[in-house]
Amino acid sequence: MTPKLQWLDDPSTFRINQLPAHSDHITYRNEKELQQRQSSLRLCLDGQWRFHFAKSPLDRPTGFEATDYDDRNWDYIKVPQHIALAGYDQLQYINTLYPWAAKMMRRAPGTVTGQDTTGMFSAASDNAVGSYRRVITLPAQWKDLDVHIQFAGVEAAMYLWVNGQFVGYAEDSFTPSEFDLTPFLTRGENLIAVQVYKYSTASFIEDQDFFRFFGIFRSVELLALPAAHLTDLALNPVSSDSTIGQVKACLQVTPVTQRIHAQIFDQAGALCEEATVEAKQKTEFQLKVVNPIQWSHEVPYLYTIILTLFDSTGQVTEVIPYDFGFRNIIIQNRELLLNQKRLILTGVNRHEWNCHTGRAISLTDMRSDLEVMKANHINAVRTCHYPDQLAWYSLCDQAGIYVMAEVNMESHGSWVSQPTKPQYNVPGSLPEWLPCVLDRAKTVYETLKNHTSILFWSLGNESYAGDDIQAMNDYFKSVDQSRPVHYEGVAHNRAYASSISDFESQMYTPPEELEPFLASSPKPVMLCEYMHSMGNSVGGLGQYMELIKDHENFVGGFIWDFIDQALLLKDTNSTRPQLRYGGDFDDRPNNGAFSGDGLLFADRTPKPALQEVAYYYGQFTK
Amino acid sequence: MVNSLNSIEIIPDGEVIGSRTPRMHCIFDRHLGLVSLRTQGREWLYRAPQPAYWRGTTDNDRGRNGKERFPIRAAGWYSSDMFPSCVSCDATIDEEPVPIEPSEALNSQALVLKYTYETLTKPSTNVTITYRLTTTALHVAIHFTGDQALPPLPAFGYRWTMPTPAQSFAYNGLSGETYPDRMHGAHTGEFEIAGMPMTPYLVPQDCGVHMRTKKVAVTRTTTLNNAQRDTSPVTLTFQADNDFAFSCLPYTPEEIESAEHQDELPPIRRTVLTLLGAVRGVGGIDSWGADVTPEATIDVSKDIDFGFTIF
Repeated sequence: MTPKLQWLDDPSTFRINQLPAHSDHITYRNEKELQQRQSSLRLCLDGQWRFHFAKSPLDRPTGFEATDYDDRNWDYIKVPQHIALAGYDQLQYINTLYPWAAKMMRRAPGTVTGQDTTGMFSAASDNAVGSYRRVITLPAQWKDLDVHIQFAGVEAAMYLWVNGQFVGYAEDSFTPSEFDLTPFLTRGENLIAVQVYKYSTASFIEDQDFFRFFGIFRSVELLALPAAHLTDLALNPVSSDSTIGQVKACLQVTPVTQRIHAQIFDQAGALCEEATVEAKQKTEFQLKVVNPIQWSHEVPYLYTIILTLFDSTGQVTEVIPYDFGFRNIIIQNRELLLNQKRLILTGVNRHEWNCHTGRAISLTDMRSDLEVMKANHINAVRTCHYPDQLAWYSLCDQAGIYVMAEVNMESHGSWVSQPTKPQYNVPGSLPEWLPCVLDRAKTVYETLKNHTSILFWSLGNESYAGDDIQAMNDYFKSVDQSRPVHYEGVAHNRAYASSISDFESQMYTPPEELEPFLASSPKPVMLCEYMHSMGNSVGGLGQYMELIKDHENFVGGFIWDFIDQALLLKDTNSTRPQLRYGGDFDDRPNNGAFSGDGLLFADRTPKPALQEVAYYYGQFTK
Repeated sequence: MVNSLNSIEIIPDGEVIGSRTPRMHCIFDRHLGLVSLRTQGREWLYRAPQPAYWRGTTDNDRGRNGKERFPIRAAGWYSSDMFPSCVSCDATIDEEPVPIEPSEALNSQALVLKYTYETLTKPSTNVTITYRLTTTALHVAIHFTGDQALPPLPAFGYRWTMPTPAQSFAYNGLSGETYPDRMHGAHTGEFEIAGMPMTPYLVPQDCGVHMRTKKVAVTRTTTLNNAQRDTSPVTLTFQADNDFAFSCLPYTPEEIESAEHQDELPPIRRTVLTLLGAVRGVGGIDSWGADVTPEATIDVSKDIDFGFTIF
């Protein structure tokens, strides 16, 4: 297959040869590896890659994917990292406007009749290109195994070649992109070549209020697949009462898988139940847990299922652990109930952020954030406005933090200038955008479906409303009856009031306007963003807390937001480190310090407002 | 005339009036106000204290573009804060005017100076600062004359600038940085704060306010006096009649207003202690136009009075 640069211009082309999304389970070769949490089936490719930066596709190196291409004049770049923070691309922070606003005339495909979008990104002078090369040698013990490559996060569009041959193309910056490399690999050295584009049509729906980075900003891994392999795992733990919990498991395995041994352990390591089942391509079985302990913020009790796969010779090929909890989230009448009790969300919105590395954050950052949340009675997080690193969801399972898992979609720039009743926007009801946004919903669901901490799916943020978003809702409803769906666009386009969100969801509604709405709303009401913690702020939080007490259908909300987004960089004049924000990089247009709206400063020290949040949230949450 | 423990010595010299008690020596300027307070062998004033009306605009104050922005509506207070206009001074001893140039020092139980300031707002209003010096302490009473036609007020208080940076300050009041609409999470206690920390908001803005304070004591070791060799810590205490709010920062609101980043603030040179009789809340509903709640705004139609004793 020959890759086409014009895929960048076409919203209906967003994944080429990318493997279907699947559960985020981690595979070990055997029991011993599991115990050591060291998998010989994974090889991390983080580190130094050869790198070339081009300001536009016209300047990109061609033929660089060839094994004999001479890259000795190229730089090195550390992966994962934002290219701008490696010193190549200009930094820019901007909120709702598209980053090219007032510089490039661009209107989203489908919104202007007769518009020819060819070249919109593929031949654009502002579409920077990062080219990456890395030579790898596969572990000897992988010689008979299939090998996949997984990019955990590449912004915003990527092309992949191995040993000079085109492998595939991916968008959707914040979810894993996985490709089968088996047909392309050789023994000995192999060349992985990646070209990353700053913009594609996907940029119209990745218009989040954040720094506009691009590049390989999350880890890259090779995955080895034994012939008997678990492709996907769907767990559905149900406990209708406190005496018996049923765990329905649905496994997709490769055809040569013979048998699966499943064991469930409680948190103390005691075996609850085990079973051996004959493998089918789609293997379904049920295990039970007697007297299951329910999972909640207060008691984040997790069980572990361990799946052992056997091939036809009776050999163990894979061992897969997965932690899960029993919890039941429903909307009953006007109330949101977790484990049959009213659930009040004392939440925050959280961008992934580190003032040195931007959105390329570490496990230490994540753990630190969870500690702050637990210490300050924050019980919920909205992953605004994209899926986080996979580790975050497991950490939330363990910490008992309720997650609103949001799809990577924000198209505010397409309707910001016409907020009350947009004449056009993306994805809207445009057919050319439907497959793309549906795919994003599917990827989020398939990847994250087993996380106990995820109580709600969220269709995205500030993308108005239309048939395409309704189709995303319908998709989630078709695959997951166990979780409510959230989308704030319900407040903007009432034609979709009953078809895009199980909640009434609003942002920044003043208490005096919220109160009558609460009184009249037949649905649970949520503030998916409130209390804008910009600078010296968070005054008047108590008014909202009173409304929680007075209205059983007010489920609380998510403070905006958890951590300031600013970059600790050298000040040009003093050369001392300075927390810099929009406009500090000659970036025009920009939104200044508007991203300095966290409960923590960008370096993770708490703002004084946190004591107020802890006080009020502590009235509802341990 | 000899100073005694039972009276204060008053030394009028035309525009300036000196006064000495067993504990302190004060110099009042008939135009500028209290220009010197010396106690424990140290000078405590860099410039005369003045009414405080402004605060470094917060992000929420700035809010949306346009003339409804709080700082635009309140701008008259900025100029009033920047350029204090003292229009009269009544200096009295036992209710009699202090003579301009008496031939000898006077003795009294109390010296009272009342300074009247006219604000540069439209309309204007009057603020008075009344000093009452007795043998035991210096008492300060601040009065703001309310008028509902006045522009919205960012803060009202009394700003005292010390010649050198504080080493620390201690106060009896609420934990952490508090404002009228963000103080419920605080606990009451005695707190000692090293230095004069600026809360490092991304863009420098008003910070460090402590509501419901009974007492604040500022400790310094340094002076500007070239002959001063004693660097032992000395403390000046401000004891509220009822309670006040305060901030103890290295900068004036105008300095804070001018900085775009924390490191653009000037080198720390002085102590800016602002004792506040009224504080505007910080708000939080949004940062693009929502005002603070009515309970947390300063009601300009009402008089504001507060007082404290300095020792």
